[in-house]
Amino acid sequence: MASRDIVNYNTPLSKAFNWFATIFVAFYLVWTVLPIFVMIVSSFKDLLEAFQIPAVGDWLGARVFFNFSPTFQHYIDLFTQQPFGTYLFNSIVAAGGSAIISVVLGSMAAYSLSRTDFKFKNDLFFWIISTRMAPVVAVLVPLFAIFRSLNLVGSLPGLILAYTTFNLPFAIWILKGFFDNVPYAIEEAQMVDGASRPKALISILPLVAPGIAAFIVLCILFAWNDFLFAAIIGSGDAKTLPVATKELVQPQNIQWGTIMAAGTVTTLPMMLLGLVIRKYLVTGLTMGAVKE
Amino acid sequence: MATVTIDKVWKKYGEFTAVKDLNINCPDGTFLSILGPSGCGKSSTMRMIAGLEHISAGEIRFDDQRINDLAPKDRDVAMVFENYALYPHKTVYENMANPLRLRGQSDSQIKERVTGAAKLLEIGQLLERRPSELSGGQKQRVAIGRAIVREPKLFLFDEPIAHLDAKLRAHMRSEIKHLQRSLGTTMIYVTHDQLEAMSMADMIAVMHEGELQQLGTPREVYNNPVNAWVAGFVGEPAMNFMDATIEDKGGKTWFIHPNFSIAVTPEQSRILNGQNSKAIRLGVRPDALTISGSKPRDDHVKGDIFVTELLGSDMIVDVNLADSRIRVKTNPEFPGLEGESCFITVNRDKWHAFSTVDGRAYF
Repeated sequence: MASRDIVNYNTPLSKAFNWFATIFVAFYLVWTVLPIFVMIVSSFKDLLEAFQIPAVGDWLGARVFFNFSPTFQHYIDLFTQQPFGTYLFNSIVAAGGSAIISVVLGSMAAYSLSRTDFKFKNDLFFWIISTRMAPVVAVLVPLFAIFRSLNLVGSLPGLILAYTTFNLPFAIWILKGFFDNVPYAIEEAQMVDGASRPKALISILPLVAPGIAAFIVLCILFAWNDFLFAAIIGSGDAKTLPVATKELVQPQNIQWGTIMAAGTVTTLPMMLLGLVIRKYLVTGLTMGAVKE
Repeated sequence: MATVTIDKVWKKYGEFTAVKDLNINCPDGTFLSILGPSGCGKSSTMRMIAGLEHISAGEIRFDDQRINDLAPKDRDVAMVFENYALYPHKTVYENMANPLRLRGQSDSQIKERVTGAAKLLEIGQLLERRPSELSGGQKQRVAIGRAIVREPKLFLFDEPIAHLDAKLRAHMRSEIKHLQRSLGTTMIYVTHDQLEAMSMADMIAVMHEGELQQLGTPREVYNNPVNAWVAGFVGEPAMNFMDATIEDKGGKTWFIHPNFSIAVTPEQSRILNGQNSKAIRLGVRPDALTISGSKPRDDHVKGDIFVTELLGSDMIVDVNLADSRIRVKTNPEFPGLEGESCFITVNRDKWHAFSTVDGRAYF
C-alpha cells in the first residue's frame, strides 16, 4: 500500500482548532483515565487514607492523594473473607464459554449465509440481527420465565446460554462480512485439490482469523461486563464479578477499599486482554469493512 | 490421462440457460481450448467438468466413467484459476504441496514433487515466499505449479494468463503449450482471447450464447468458419463484412455492391446456384485483400482511405465504402494518404459468403 501525505496548511482557523483539539483531548484523558486511576490507587489505601480530601481551592493539597502506605489487605480480604475466587472463575467460564460457543456456531452460520443463496436469505439475515435490537431489559422477564422452567436460573450453563443468545447474532453478523471477503475461488481450489467442503471451510479459517479474534474479544467484553443477566439469571450459584462487587455495598457498612479492589480485579483482565490483542482488534474490525 | 466426453450437457441457472446441448469430445492428450466472449458459457462448462457446478442435464465422462455425481476431490482434475486462488497465508512451497498433502503423501515425496515442479517452472528461488510478495507472473506460475505437482487425469485452465501484461502473456503462451506437450496430459483451456486459443490449442471449441458454434483445429476454425459469428470472432484484425447482392449475369455469378461488382469462382458459383438477386453477407479477412493507389485490371473495390495505422511490420488501412468501413492489411511502404481514393483487389479463394438469414457459411 502506498503511503500518502496528509497535507496540512496552517491558517488562523486551523491553529485555533488545533489548540481546541489539544485541550479537548486533555480533558477527555482526565475524564476517562482519572476514575480508573483513583480506583486502582484507592484499592491500596486503608479507609482513613482513602478519605483524606484537601480543602476546596487548595490545589497543592491534592498531594495528600499520594500520601499513603500501600496495603494489599483489601485484596487479601477479597479472596479470603469473600469467595471472589469463585466469582472470578464464574466470570471466566461464563464469558469464555459463551464466546467459544458463539464463535463455533457463528462461523458455521456465517459461512453458510455467505456462500449459499436461497429464498428469503436477506430476511433471515435481518431477522438474526434484529434480535439484537430490543433492549435486554425488554426480553429479560420472558427469558427469566423460560430459564426458570428449564431449571437454568442460577447456574453457569444458564448464564452461558443467556450470553450466547445475545452474542450469536452478533457473531454471525460480524463474521459474515469476513467470509464475504474471502474469494470463493480459494475454497474451490481447495476442493479441486482434494478437500471436502468442511475441510475447505477449515482451510480458509486462517483468513478470517482477525475477524474471529476481534469477535471473541467483543463477546468476552459483553459477558464480562454484563450486570443485568448476571444479577437475574446468574444470581445464586453463578454469581459473577460485577454482581459480587455491587453486593459489597451494604446498607450499614460500605467497604470502599474492598469495592475498589474488586473493581480493579474486574477491570484489569479486560484491559490486559485488550492490550494483548489490540493489533488484531483494529485490523479485524476494519478488514471486515473494506474490500480489497 | 483421460478422454473427456461432454454429452448433451445443459446448464441452467433458474430461468437462464448458460449452456445449451453441448457436445464435445476431447481425445486423450489433446489441448482443447474453449473460446468465446464473456457470458458464452465457457466458464460454466469448465466448472461443470471440475465439479464446482452441478450439471443440469446430460453427462460428462472421463474415459468411460460418468463423473456427474462425483465430488471435485474425486474427479482427479487439477485446475488453474483466473485469479490464481493461491492460499495467501501459506508459502509458495505449502501452496504447491497442498494437493499432495490432501492426498496423504509422505513429506519426502512431497518435497521431491514440489521441487521438481518448481524447477520446471523456474520458481525454485521463490518457495519460501508468500503470495503477497510475488508478481502477477510469479503467482501465475505458482498456480500452475500447484496443478502439475500431481499427475491428474485432466488439467483445467480458466483464463490463467488474462491478467498478465501483454509481453508476459506472449511468453506464457509458449510456456504453457510446451508444458502441456511435455506432460502429455489432456488439457482444457478456457479463454476469451482468440489469439491464445489459436496459438496454443490442438482443438478449439468456439462457444456463443451457450451454444457450441464450431469444434475444429485452429486452422479449420480460421480458414473455414461455419458461420459469420465465428468468422468475426476469430482473427485479428477482425474479418470485414460487406452486404452485397447476388446476380447471375453473362454465365457468371456476381456479388454486387455500391463499391464493387466482382464475379465469384465457378465452384463458388455452383454453391450459390439458385440464389439469384438474393442478399448475401460477404466476409474477407484483411490479409486476403490487396490495396493499391492505381486502378488494377482485375475486378476491384473502390473506396476512400479513412486512416492508416502503422504496426511496425504491417500497415492496416481503414477504407470507407458507401455503407461500411473495411480494414486492409498491407506493407508499411504503402504510400496512400488519408482521404485519397484507393483500389482493393480480393483473393477470391479466401473470401466467405454467409447467409443474411442465419449467418451460416456458404463457403
